[in-house]
Amino acid sequence: MGKIKTSYDSIQWSNVLEMVYESRIDSVGLNERVNSLATRSIKKDSKLEALNMIVSMCDLTTLEGEDTEGKISQMVAKAIKPNPLDSSVPSVAAVCVYPSLVGTAKEKVQNSNVKVAAVSSYFPSGQVPMESKLLDTKYAIESGADEIDIVINRKAFLEGDYRKVYDEIVALKEVCQDVHLKTILEVGDLKTYENIRKASLISLAAGSDFIKTSTGKLSIGSSRQACYVMLKSVLDFESMTGVKAGIKVAGGIRDAKDAIRYLVMINEEMGSDWLNPELFRFGASSLLDDVLKQIKKLKTGAYQAGYYFPRG
Amino acid sequence: MIDIKKTYKNYVDGKYVRSESGKTYTKELKNEFYELPLTSKKDIRDAVTSSKDGYKKWSSTTPYLRMQILYRLSEMIEGNKESYVELLMDHGLTKQKATKDIDESIQNIVWFAGLADKWEQLAGNLNPVSEEYFNISHQNPIGVVFSLSGSNISLNELLMSILPSLTVGCSVISYSEENSVLALKFAEDINNSDFPSGSLNILSGKFENILNDVSKHVEINLVAIHKDLNNGGLKAIEQNASESVKRVFSKPSIEGLSSILPYLETKTVWHPKGT
Repeated sequence: MGKIKTSYDSIQWSNVLEMVYESRIDSVGLNERVNSLATRSIKKDSKLEALNMIVSMCDLTTLEGEDTEGKISQMVAKAIKPNPLDSSVPSVAAVCVYPSLVGTAKEKVQNSNVKVAAVSSYFPSGQVPMESKLLDTKYAIESGADEIDIVINRKAFLEGDYRKVYDEIVALKEVCQDVHLKTILEVGDLKTYENIRKASLISLAAGSDFIKTSTGKLSIGSSRQACYVMLKSVLDFESMTGVKAGIKVAGGIRDAKDAIRYLVMINEEMGSDWLNPELFRFGASSLLDDVLKQIKKLKTGAYQAGYYFPRG
Repeated sequence: MIDIKKTYKNYVDGKYVRSESGKTYTKELKNEFYELPLTSKKDIRDAVTSSKDGYKKWSSTTPYLRMQILYRLSEMIEGNKESYVELLMDHGLTKQKATKDIDESIQNIVWFAGLADKWEQLAGNLNPVSEEYFNISHQNPIGVVFSLSGSNISLNELLMSILPSLTVGCSVISYSEENSVLALKFAEDINNSDFPSGSLNILSGKFENILNDVSKHVEINLVAIHKDLNNGGLKAIEQNASESVKRVFSKPSIEGLSSILPYLETKTVWHPKGT
């Protein structure tokens, strides 16, 4: 388990700038490494363990205008018992909802170990004044959120105003205090690997507990390449400060096979410390369904149909 | 080193693909060798994924369009009639028998094309009730059908294991053992007939290898076996299929309207008369 972060005094803005301007990435080498890690074959027993691990790392998510209290109750029920017919399948890590539904979700999770995460700071665009972002975040925390997912200010980032990006996260972290802060980089908007690395380092230095790839609202979601850049940034940040930050991948991870490839990459590059829901998460809506299908396939030998599993 | 006259490929999701396993087997016809894909479990899984999509597309086309596509298939086969006759003769049939087989095939496709917009009227029903509403038995295609073709070398028999379910809107995974060269040649005509990808997949190999996967796969809705299986194969299929309440038919009827009945599911609709 990583050190609990209390102070960021060791990191000054000048340190951050230094790191950010040193960001150079060899994209050919990166692609090759990521692709070679995707070819590992996983044997049956390990696969079952990996699949159960993926379930325990899932943030079951619904972020739609059509979300209702009923829909949240249904999702929370699924989060607590992903497969009601198989008690060996663990609960998911958290449910992720909009701030207005945190209260409902909190009420429904009750005594289970499922946490409630709220997206805030005007997810997914973040295009509002800082005051509104703070208010949004405060509201979510007061409603009982255990974790907060914020988006970075991509407008400021792409305009080159890194200081603004940093300051906003610092201010939001102050609001969050002990509440887990996950910062969404939205790698699809950042376009280049260098930008992903810069945004990762800025977010980490500003005090994020997690960095997260995407909102899931863009057609370009997470990629293993983006995750690789982020995990390297997390490792570099750890070697500088001793602080272990987490990574959450979200958007576009639809099947168990792909998810296992992420686990392989995390294990190979970061070590088994990170194979734990405190430090690695999947943002998922459809991924969980496929993982449940694959678990049952491994146990029964029969390929499964989605309609035999709970909706959520 | 043997000379391979032609390497056939499976037809899955509208594409000609090798087996994912890379495995093949050779078949000798009249001193010439053909290479055929040996379908693996993974290939079956891919075919089911594609058939599920194909079912959505194919079953939502209008009966009129299905009729046209089937009719076009008959035209494609008619255009290639000579090459089919030749291939059947390579299998050892006489020219007369081979020609007759292809002629019957074409006639049967045309018959099923004609049935495409009529079966629902014939198989559905307005049921008698003594109240002020209509009670209608509405027929729906069952979904993804796996069909193991017979062992006789005959295009007509192969087609009769596919056409009834295809006509009513099911998507079909057709699997051949003995007559795979013929089946995969036939696959080359499907692509020119406007079938939506995944609505008809054609694979070849040894059924034993995939028997369990097919009969256990929850997303296959019906298994039709058009030949005799030894070593208790049918029993194993029925047992596996019972776990997902899958329909299993051994040598279902291929005669007229009764040929399509196994592939239909009845939905009963009540509707007020509004008198």
